[in-house]
Amino acid sequence: MNQNNQKDTANNKNGIYDVGIDKGASRLTPEKIRKVFDALVETEGGARLRAYTNACVHCGLCSDACHHFLSKDNDPRLSPAGKVKQTISRILNKKAKLDVDFVKQACETVFTECNLCRRCVIYCPFGIDVAYLMLFVRRGCHQLGVVPQYIQDTAHSHASTFNQMWVRDDEWIDTLQWQEEEARDEIPDLRIPIDKKGADIFYSLIGPEPKFRAQLIYQMAVIFHMAGADWTLPSAPGWDNSDMCMFTGDMEMTARLKKIHFEAAMDLKAKRIVMGECGHAFRSVYDVGNRTLGWKMPPLPMVHAIEFYAEIFREKRIEILEKFDRPVTLHDPCNIVRGRGLGDEARYVINETCSTFIELEPNREHNFCCGAGGGVINCGPPFKNKRVESNRVKADQLAAARDKGAEVLIAPCHNCHGGLEDVIHHYELGLELKFLGDIIYECMKKE
Amino acid sequence: MQSRHKTAARLARLALIALLFTVATVFAQGDITTVEDSGFEKRTRPVVAFEHDAHNQKAEIYDCAVCHHVYENGEKREGQMSVGMECSECHLSENSGPMELTRAYHRMCKTCHLEKNAGPVQCAQCHSRQNAPAK
Amino acid sequence: MHELYKLASGIFVWIAILGFAAGMIGRLAHLALTARKKDPVVYQYFSLYYALRSMLHWIIPFASTGMRAHPVITIAAFVFHICLIVTPLFAAAHVILVMESWNVAWWHLPDPAADVMTVLVILGCLFFLIRRIAQEHVRYLSTAGDFVLIALVAAPFVTGFWTYHQWYGYETAGILHMLSGELMLLCLPFTRLFHMALWPFTRGYAGSEFGSLRHARDW
Ligand code: HEM
Ligand code: HEM
Ligand code: SF4
Ligand code: SF4
Ligand code: SF4
Repeated sequence: MNQNNQKDTANNKNGIYDVGIDKGASRLTPEKIRKVFDALVETEGGARLRAYTNACVHCGLCSDACHHFLSKDNDPRLSPAGKVKQTISRILNKKAKLDVDFVKQACETVFTECNLCRRCVIYCPFGIDVAYLMLFVRRGCHQLGVVPQYIQDTAHSHASTFNQMWVRDDEWIDTLQWQEEEARDEIPDLRIPIDKKGADIFYSLIGPEPKFRAQLIYQMAVIFHMAGADWTLPSAPGWDNSDMCMFTGDMEMTARLKKIHFEAAMDLKAKRIVMGECGHAFRSVYDVGNRTLGWKMPPLPMVHAIEFYAEIFREKRIEILEKFDRPVTLHDPCNIVRGRGLGDEARYVINETCSTFIELEPNREHNFCCGAGGGVINCGPPFKNKRVESNRVKADQLAAARDKGAEVLIAPCHNCHGGLEDVIHHYELGLELKFLGDIIYECMKKE
Repeated sequence: MQSRHKTAARLARLALIALLFTVATVFAQGDITTVEDSGFEKRTRPVVAFEHDAHNQKAEIYDCAVCHHVYENGEKREGQMSVGMECSECHLSENSGPMELTRAYHRMCKTCHLEKNAGPVQCAQCHSRQNAPAK
Repeated sequence: MHELYKLASGIFVWIAILGFAAGMIGRLAHLALTARKKDPVVYQYFSLYYALRSMLHWIIPFASTGMRAHPVITIAAFVFHICLIVTPLFAAAHVILVMESWNVAWWHLPDPAADVMTVLVILGCLFFLIRRIAQEHVRYLSTAGDFVLIALVAAPFVTGFWTYHQWYGYETAGILHMLSGELMLLCLPFTRLFHMALWPFTRGYAGSEFGSLRHARDW
């Protein structure tokens, strides 16, 4: 049934050169490619792979769920099922030839034209998980050694340092101490407790925070301090909860990363994990991590920062002096709203901290992805223009909220910040981007 | 002895029935050209054309009991026949409704047609719209 | 004609029904076993409550956002599928044939109702066919098999309609009807028509993952 796939995939590559893809693929032969994919299907392709690919009736009802499809003038190749057709369907068709061009094309498709945001899953009548299928192909690309260079570099960083940004152990501790010092100027008795045994909260965050945005650690320390939280951070690896390996298909590495993260918390006998405002990291720990390690649910309680914020507002452990008075709107990050249903909690916190809230349309589970997720932004500069052009609907959606008066866009996810910043800049939307923590820190009573 | 008696009795009965039958047909309907049964209160398909005499001649059926059978306790009573009765007198019970009667007719006609490779077997071959319409 | 009729109403019916049943059970059982071996998460996360919650939102017309976004397709798909499933199960002719052979009967549709529903299925097939050709993104997804499938489904309805109306050649149409109906039945488990059997599982699993793990709605 897939005999005409050959012509569908020719020349779809957008003339973007990527060492990881092009060099990686040039070392392969059709026989090798076929062998690797067949072996992957044989060993890891189970009931879900079969059920999803067999159930799809090619109805195209998922098409306009995908921001790539919508943003690129309904390009049929970018519909979720269109991406399935070009990649996994062809792999499953034993008669189809999988040549070097196919791998390049498939790699670019699954890595840069799908954010694994799962919006299409809630529009497909069958609930077909296209993200699962794209990840399956990514895993094959990983096994073939064909992965975009930038994201592969972060995966290497994970492999050698257990964090995403090549942060060395001493740099990590230095950064924490530096932030503690800075914060003490403001709040003299503030501490950033390292390796405290038996704390209520094990706080984990993502590699880019100590690397580029250390003030976020400062901010969170102030919030913990004022809320009277008993918290700690580990000195040893395990502090980074992010994971690019699950996006490159390197599940072995994902297992190691998630294991060391859980173990760091358990070694310190922490009662639970609170994670910073990151969506993909949350997904990697909450949804992917437990599965990969063979647990149905995480081995100890863990919450996203939003849940923690909501908790301290409910328990009145934190006081807002004056609500944030510029009109705000909220981007529901896929990985914590479609991925963990935290839309209501986020709105509760906004309600506690901001005076005017304007909804994006659509919102909650139906919000459009920022275009950065699923490792797409991590594929780096070669694909930046393409990524931003592939999210015109996001710009339209944001512009509509701006026209209703929104000035500040809250996005409780690091990755979303990256994507939204590019969208705001490229489409000249003039919105200011903030974390929930930024707003709380700005408006809270600090003694 | 026994057997001669029996044959005589049967012949007498046949003669009597034949007489009754003729009288009944003559008085009741004249020539039979369609299948009628008061058990079908309302017809959902066109009436079935059935030239009784021509059919039997063509099909070479001379024993009325072939169609006008009599069953007792699930067993066919040889030598008895139900000429003059309506099928619905037996094939229409309170609880199963006209479907049971339909079944009886279909099985009577269709089964034989299939066995003999002759005669109509599809719905429309009997329930032809060229006959009287459904009422 | 009599010989053909006997085949089509006899042994072929058995082949179709047994093939259908064996195919359905066999393929579903195979999936269930593969899932045990290779996708144990499916059993872990499957939750009857959330599966039913999701299925309910996708089986009630317009209960999901996606259906509201595509009202025409939603109406067409529901009318098409309901008529597609109900008509053959309750067509008077079918009930009568079953009654003749096995002496079991159930309620049947009045002929005019079955007739209208047959037309709706045929129109549905045309609608999906036209959509498949006219809409670029659907055309892109289409394979030759998708067109064969529509024809496969349309055939028993077209021929059934033909023979019911006793148009020219209705006797041949009647035989073709039986053969095409049997062919479709036989193909159900082995083509994309198998989506019918997979739906409760794919939908149910999506609902379970979204409900019990992700605490989110999937409609
Ligand atoms: C198993 C083999 C089948 C047999 C023996 C069979 C037999 C028949 C017969 C005898 C009729 C009556 C025609 C008339 O009223 O004059 C009929 C009608 C019909 N059949 Fe079937 N059929 C079969 C399978 C199917 C299948 C699989 C479908 C659809 C999926 C189907 C759909 C219909 C429809 C829709 C009608 C009614 C047409 C109308 O009233 O306009 N049949 N069938
Ligand atoms: C409960 C069982 C079933 C479910 C949930 C189901 C669901 C669906 C859905 C969601 C679609 C996409 C419709 C659209 O384009 O809007 C579809 C299409 C279709 N279904 Fe079903 N279906 C079922 C049973 C069947 C059966 C029994 C048949 C045939 C015997 C069938 C034949 C078709 C056909 C031919 C299409 C194709 C439409 C196209 O080509 O675009 N379905 N089904
Ligand atoms: S909506 Fe679902 S069934 Fe339809 S084409 Fe998309 S993935 Fe396939
Ligand atoms: S997961 Fe998101 S990005 Fe990927 S195909 Fe579906 S809607 Fe598009
Ligand atoms: S970065 Fe944010 S919006 Fe984008 S995929 Fe991740 S969670 Fe979704």
